[in-house]
Amino acid sequence: MQRQGLGWFEERLGWSGFREKFLDKAFPMHPSFFLGEIALFSFVILVITGIYLLFSYEPSAQIITVGGRSFPAAYHSVTQIDKQPFGLIVRQVHHWAAHLMIAVVILHLLRVFFTGAFKKPREINWVIGILLLLITVMAGFTGYLLPYDAFSVTASGIGYQIAASIPWIGVALAKFVFAGQFPAIGTIPRFFGYHVVIIPLLLIGLIGLHLLVMIKQKHTEPSSSRGRVAPGRLLGIPLWPQQTSLMVMLFLLMTGGLLLIASIFPVHPIELYGPPGPQTPTVKPDWYFLWVFGLLKLIPGWLEIHLGGTVLDPEVIGGILLPSLLILLIFLVPFLNRTRERQNYLEPVTKHPLRTSIGTGVLMLLLTLSAAAYQEVLDISLAIFRLAAVLLPLLVGIATYLAIRLFRGWRSKTIKRAREPLSSDR
Amino acid sequence: MAEEHERPEHANQAGIGRRTLLRWVVGVGAFSSLATLALVLGTVKPQQTSQRDEKIKAGDVLVFALGPNKGDPITSTNASASRPAGIVIVPEPGQHKGEPIIPTSVGLGDVTLAFPRGKEMHDNLIILIHLKKSRFVPPTHLNWLPDGFVAYSAICTHLGCTVGYSYEPMPGAGVPYPHIHCPCHQGMYNDMAGAEVVSGPPPRPVPQLPLALNAKGELVADGPFDGPVGPLPGGR
Repeated sequence: MQRQGLGWFEERLGWSGFREKFLDKAFPMHPSFFLGEIALFSFVILVITGIYLLFSYEPSAQIITVGGRSFPAAYHSVTQIDKQPFGLIVRQVHHWAAHLMIAVVILHLLRVFFTGAFKKPREINWVIGILLLLITVMAGFTGYLLPYDAFSVTASGIGYQIAASIPWIGVALAKFVFAGQFPAIGTIPRFFGYHVVIIPLLLIGLIGLHLLVMIKQKHTEPSSSRGRVAPGRLLGIPLWPQQTSLMVMLFLLMTGGLLLIASIFPVHPIELYGPPGPQTPTVKPDWYFLWVFGLLKLIPGWLEIHLGGTVLDPEVIGGILLPSLLILLIFLVPFLNRTRERQNYLEPVTKHPLRTSIGTGVLMLLLTLSAAAYQEVLDISLAIFRLAAVLLPLLVGIATYLAIRLFRGWRSKTIKRAREPLSSDR
Repeated sequence: MAEEHERPEHANQAGIGRRTLLRWVVGVGAFSSLATLALVLGTVKPQQTSQRDEKIKAGDVLVFALGPNKGDPITSTNASASRPAGIVIVPEPGQHKGEPIIPTSVGLGDVTLAFPRGKEMHDNLIILIHLKKSRFVPPTHLNWLPDGFVAYSAICTHLGCTVGYSYEPMPGAGVPYPHIHCPCHQGMYNDMAGAEVVSGPPPRPVPQLPLALNAKGELVADGPFDGPVGPLPGGR
């Protein structure tokens, strides 16, 4: 019966070739290979929960009066969503899934970086991956504004001012992106468009490209698979049914986990924050912007770069220039590598001590800057943080380098010792 | 072979080859499509806000920006410390509890946010502080302080947040006295000394607003701010 049914489709679609080619596709196994999948599934959960929110959200900053109190329409519509039987939990899952997606995309990036999986021939996918990270962060930034509460308006206002501080084009650019000088009445409709149409389309397109390139080039393999199958072949489990069942389990686990987290830890309680007013609440940006926030704090107010008739003030240096430089460097990672041969196996982190130590150093820098965002809470002076932001990354980088050297020296000795009886036998 | 060679030569004789022509057609098509797209995008104008873009002028009456007396003029008549204060941004614990009187002024040592009446826009937000007149020192404009009221722009010159007031001295940041405090990046201004930046990233003081009293004893602006409000556009 089932055969007949499939035969009916087979007759019309002729998909047996497709099934042989793709359903048997080998997936190499390593726990870290699930990071990309978790990112993809977070996106799927975000789309599903986002569609639910879309049904009731009103993209407008017009002031409406309800029961004698005035609110922006967007803020009021989100409080109404929160009152629906599943509204609050769906909104919380959406918010948590966004955090998860950004976190996992970053972890995925770190995995690819530290194992050298960005090397030839995978430079293209590295570039697409970084674009995906940037667009995901933009999705977070645009989505943060939509509830239009006191916190989100403050955060977006800072974003506007940083953009406006770019010389020459800043004000025009910021006014175009925010549809006028923030807080403008047109900002919400425009950000709504970015958040629910333009950014998701870009993400879908780039995720598709990312996967296509991955399928074409084949996945990298753990180095333990080396030499266990014929050259040009991959050691892994087939897409159907093994990998598919793992994926289904992972997706369900993630959905359950997010529901659990969303029920226990409320995130962005807009009823508590209240609608935007003349006062600015004490607000910290989301964790993935903390390093820029810390950097803005550490850069002294007098620091300016005079350049060809214009002035780069501290906000441009800390908010635009230095972050852009870091992002540019990350883009260039695969092109700074000069090896010609194709890299198909993961490298142990000890293989390239310099790369690994630069990686840990940059991570330490980002962590120190993020901690500087809480400088006044930690009650550590700015001067100490400025020193720490220079010294700690260097120290961690050097320590990593020395540790790897030590480890390699120790390992080559043990390997020699293990081989000695063998060679004496001969 | 010979015949195959002849065809392109023939085409060349006619003027331009088919491929060249096609390339031009595609190129011109793509360029004009992009140009049209850019033109259309260029016509996308921001929505006009209902509020008019108005700056503070001499004679504008200051009104409370928030609280139960929002929109009411701020007078200087009940400036004694025994009366309840205006809306204190950072109230001291236990202060002014259970007082039903809606204040019309800002008590000595208290702070409020104010707007010029009829021009309630973010950039016109004012932080109004009431201290003994003798506590102010230059570069504060000492002739702009009727009964010890000082008004500064409430828009932080760093990234445009609304500043608040910290009654807590912050000796750790080198500011051992109450001060104007921006919650976004901990910019601190000394309100007794012309809002000089005493800690944090702001590039310059928040501008001061000349104040005067009208016939009814209400606080009014006596001119525009003495400098640009908020962060300056990039490149300056």
